[in-house]
Amino acid sequence: MLIREIMHKNPITIPPETPLFEAYKIMQKKNIRHLPVLENGKLIGIVTDRDLRLATSQLAEKPFKPEDIVKKIMSSPVQTTAPSDPIEIATKIMRELKISSLPVLENEKLVGIITGADLLDAMLKLTGVHRPSGRLDVELSNRSGELAHLTNIIANHKINIHSILTYPEEDNKIRVVLRINTMEIKTLAKEICGSGFVVIWPPHISCAK
Amino acid sequence: MCKIIYHNKYGLYNLGNEHPFSPQRAEMLIELLQELKVFKEPLQPSAVNPEQLKLIHDKDYVNIVENVSAGNEQGQAEKYNLGTADNPIVKGMAEGARYQVGGTLHGVQLLMENKANKVITFGGGFHHAHKNSAAGFCVYNDLAVAIKEMTNQGMHVAYLDIDVHHGDGVQELFYDDDKVMTISIHESGEFLFPGTGWIYELGRGSGRSLKLNIPLEPFSEGDSYLLAIDKVVKPALAWFRPDALIVQAGADAHFSDPLADILLTTYDYEKLFKEIISIAQNSCNNKMLFTFGGGYSPTATPRVWALLYFILSNIEIPKYLPKKWKNKWEKILNMKFPDTLHDALPAYDEIPRKQEIINTNKDTIRRLMDSVSQHWL
Repeated sequence: MLIREIMHKNPITIPPETPLFEAYKIMQKKNIRHLPVLENGKLIGIVTDRDLRLATSQLAEKPFKPEDIVKKIMSSPVQTTAPSDPIEIATKIMRELKISSLPVLENEKLVGIITGADLLDAMLKLTGVHRPSGRLDVELSNRSGELAHLTNIIANHKINIHSILTYPEEDNKIRVVLRINTMEIKTLAKEICGSGFVVIWPPHISCAK
Repeated sequence: MCKIIYHNKYGLYNLGNEHPFSPQRAEMLIELLQELKVFKEPLQPSAVNPEQLKLIHDKDYVNIVENVSAGNEQGQAEKYNLGTADNPIVKGMAEGARYQVGGTLHGVQLLMENKANKVITFGGGFHHAHKNSAAGFCVYNDLAVAIKEMTNQGMHVAYLDIDVHHGDGVQELFYDDDKVMTISIHESGEFLFPGTGWIYELGRGSGRSLKLNIPLEPFSEGDSYLLAIDKVVKPALAWFRPDALIVQAGADAHFSDPLADILLTTYDYEKLFKEIISIAQNSCNNKMLFTFGGGYSPTATPRVWALLYFILSNIEIPKYLPKKWKNKWEKILNMKFPDTLHDALPAYDEIPRKQEIINTNKDTIRRLMDSVSQHWL
């Protein structure tokens, strides 16, 4: 899944001379938390609702005034991503730098923005159930052809696979969670187990010979 | 008294000898009741015509089902999830399905015309069928057609689904309908088909907080099902006060069912059925229709539905299975039945995570009630 598939296109931007109260108003009105700052069409900074609140807080040593301009408090330079980046790269950058959004640049032009919430949506899409299906959870050895062997058995039963999720386990094993289009999952699981796979779900099945 | 609805042509909906959704289940039940000398001649419904199905289903979908069922090639069948392992294409299946839709529809007509308070059809319950797709052994959604017919007459209807799988088709078809409350108790979609039926699925628009789901942990036992009835179904229906209750009484939450992992015994089913009937009497205008549904353990399903028949008809539950019936079906199925109508106890080994499962289910029920009860004022 790529950034271009999940990003918000044409984000709302502000010029650097925008007063803080104005930026705050825009965030409130549009129900957003991040405003990229553009000067002559170039991204020069970003300001978040948290930046605004901290900068103007009475608890700050020298609080900014509502009339001050965003250029004084914005983060700059800005960490960005590209539309062709896979979402896991963006996720990694955001986690490592502890930031909550990434403007998307293409040919130095701002074309979109993603936030942590978009990545949560992406996770829902990747792990969620979109078609009626049952869960098949299998442990594979980490060698070539294993997944093909598994999916072949499923294909032979004329059962459609709706989604596949994999993650590494200890002892060089791979866990594969498939959502497949059948109610009668145990019959299939017995055969898969009989072919030498370790079936985690459904549990307590006796392997077909 | 309870009216029975059945037609021999229900059996045309036969997805093959290897397929678990078998018309043999009704056949076994009828023979069992005949042997016990309690079988009443059923009312014979007529089949609905394809036109009537368009109350619920898309025209294109109905045409394709009718076409493939008549033996005509249809390149598009797979798009509608037909010709798959769960929904194979079998000659005559559309007609069989239309008879079963007709049965459920006939049942609600009896309720609406005040000709009966309790009705059971020995078929139907196709809760996975969608507007334009077959799924989970189901092609035409008899329940939705019947409910729609009732709401078209201005009635409020409650739908209760105790099948072990989430009643996704019915829920989706009435998701924003404020005349229909749907409640489904099932094994959690994290593991079991169809993967939906979470507590946050509460309905849309004016149907909000009228769609309830109680997803239970795998290896949940009878107490959790009964708790869901007591803590959710009872207050929900006491508040909604529908004009009738439609129950999809799938028997696949039985511990011996090969397709799922819930552990009800026939004793649990007896309590469950009595409780549901009492709620229907108190909160649902004393009008109720029961359909079949899932139930894939041939040694359990006829016994569970026989219990339902006895309880609905106020006939004393017999202790033993008739020997003749037992011997015959043990031979045919090559499986062992208990001597009694009820399960032999203890039915299964003690569950190691028992308390943890109960606690998780209690939490689920509490969270569901926290999110809906504020709307029920």
